[in-house]
Amino acid sequence: MGNMKKNIAVTVKNLHIYYRGLTKTSIRSTWSKKTKKIELFKALKGVSFEIEEGKILGIIGKNGSGKSTMLRAIAGIFSPDKGSINLHGNSISLLSIGVGFNKKLTGRENIYLSGMLLGFSEEQIKEKEKDIIEFADIGDFINKPVKTYSSGMHSKLAFAITAILETDIMLIDEVLSVGDKKFKQKSYNKMKELISDEHRTVIIVSHSLGTIKELCDEVLWLNDGKVVEIGKPAEIIKKYDEFMSK
Amino acid sequence: MKKFIQNIKKYYKYAIRSAKAELKSEVAGSYLNWLWWIIEPLCFMLIYAFVFGYVFHNRQQYFITFIFIGVTIWGFFNRMIKGSVKLIINNRDLVSKVYIPKYILLLSKSFTYLFKLGISLIIVFILMIFQGVPFTWHIILIFPIILVLYVLSFGIGMILMHFGVTFNDLSNIVTIGLRMVFYLSGIFYNIRTRLGGTLGFFLLRGNPVAFLLDEVRKCLIEGSMISIQGVLFWFVVGIILCLIGIHTIHKNENSYAKVI
Repeated sequence: MGNMKKNIAVTVKNLHIYYRGLTKTSIRSTWSKKTKKIELFKALKGVSFEIEEGKILGIIGKNGSGKSTMLRAIAGIFSPDKGSINLHGNSISLLSIGVGFNKKLTGRENIYLSGMLLGFSEEQIKEKEKDIIEFADIGDFINKPVKTYSSGMHSKLAFAITAILETDIMLIDEVLSVGDKKFKQKSYNKMKELISDEHRTVIIVSHSLGTIKELCDEVLWLNDGKVVEIGKPAEIIKKYDEFMSK
Repeated sequence: MKKFIQNIKKYYKYAIRSAKAELKSEVAGSYLNWLWWIIEPLCFMLIYAFVFGYVFHNRQQYFITFIFIGVTIWGFFNRMIKGSVKLIINNRDLVSKVYIPKYILLLSKSFTYLFKLGISLIIVFILMIFQGVPFTWHIILIFPIILVLYVLSFGIGMILMHFGVTFNDLSNIVTIGLRMVFYLSGIFYNIRTRLGGTLGFFLLRGNPVAFLLDEVRKCLIEGSMISIQGVLFWFVVGIILCLIGIHTIHKNENSYAKVI
């Protein structure tokens, strides 16, 4: 007994996310369409689940089923319209979508700014600065404004920042298709290393069922904003496969 | 309000760093570098001095200093208001990828504007010495006036920032509005002596830029007492606008990422 007490890292309760309300308007459009209905799109309709610390959860579902919306909600970019998300005090980052850069500033300056937004202090970032630059492997461009970067360099730096500045919970959207072949391999290895840390909780969204099966402890199947089933990867993926080929 | 203070504590270092980086990047690419921060307001001052001093025969005492104070105060207000309208849309990249309290964006921007305001004020003092404007203790009264100007423009900025996300015409309207305020604030003329009667009376009471600018000139050039009542009144208005702005942003900020 004793040490069997589970630490919960993420608790999602009855999560609802709607897209509505704030729609773009202009004077012209309010004149031309006087009775415009506000469309309400329900992306998530009451999702609940829990993840234990150190576990890896995969999320599968067809396009538009609410996977990315849920990740962004867990990351705190949206707030729930109903329900709640509790991270139990853990720090969190969205890997692979990367961080927001200020394109006018240099890569080096952006490392600091995005690191601070992820909740790290300037000193902590300074310690990791060298590792990040080395991992990103973009040469002298680190001292040039981000707007001069190629899209590959952009994502390499973004990945390096989130991968080296490790947070307790990592959210990974669509398993990395970042950079050239060499970097892809490197980032895949890095991701595996991050995931295998027994204290790190990971949520992966992917269409690649092979990866999900290989990496995850548990799989959550979303359809039309609702949970169809949560369970062992092999089982769920089999059912999902059948459902999709219908 | 508690959340606002917590957020400021948590993110002010970010805001400062981001402001510094922004200032650095602004000058990194240009030949004359940071000299632009001095050249730009000086050139505006020379233009206004030529047009209104020479062409329109304005006989204001210490005219150069008089105009430069106008350019300085207006420059800050104009930047704050203009900068806030498209602030969230311009930071689309950031807002859609990581959580940041949205007024931190405005705070960071405002630091860069305050820095430029500071440079401009130093030039004002140099011009005062140059033109032999008598210095009195009233000079220190500039600080409370700048504070009120800051609070007021921060409040207006937050509200504009919110509506700028969803209301496409806002930047056009704001541009026109600012132009109107520009001419009605006495930047290159003295409202008290030029516009007597009801118009001057209402401008100095209804237009905070005109009022605060006039008060700055009182304490710097005329060495006379400012209207404490008036300054306090606009301070309270500024605080109320800030509260409305903070409330609006707290209520809506998580939806911005869905719209832009």
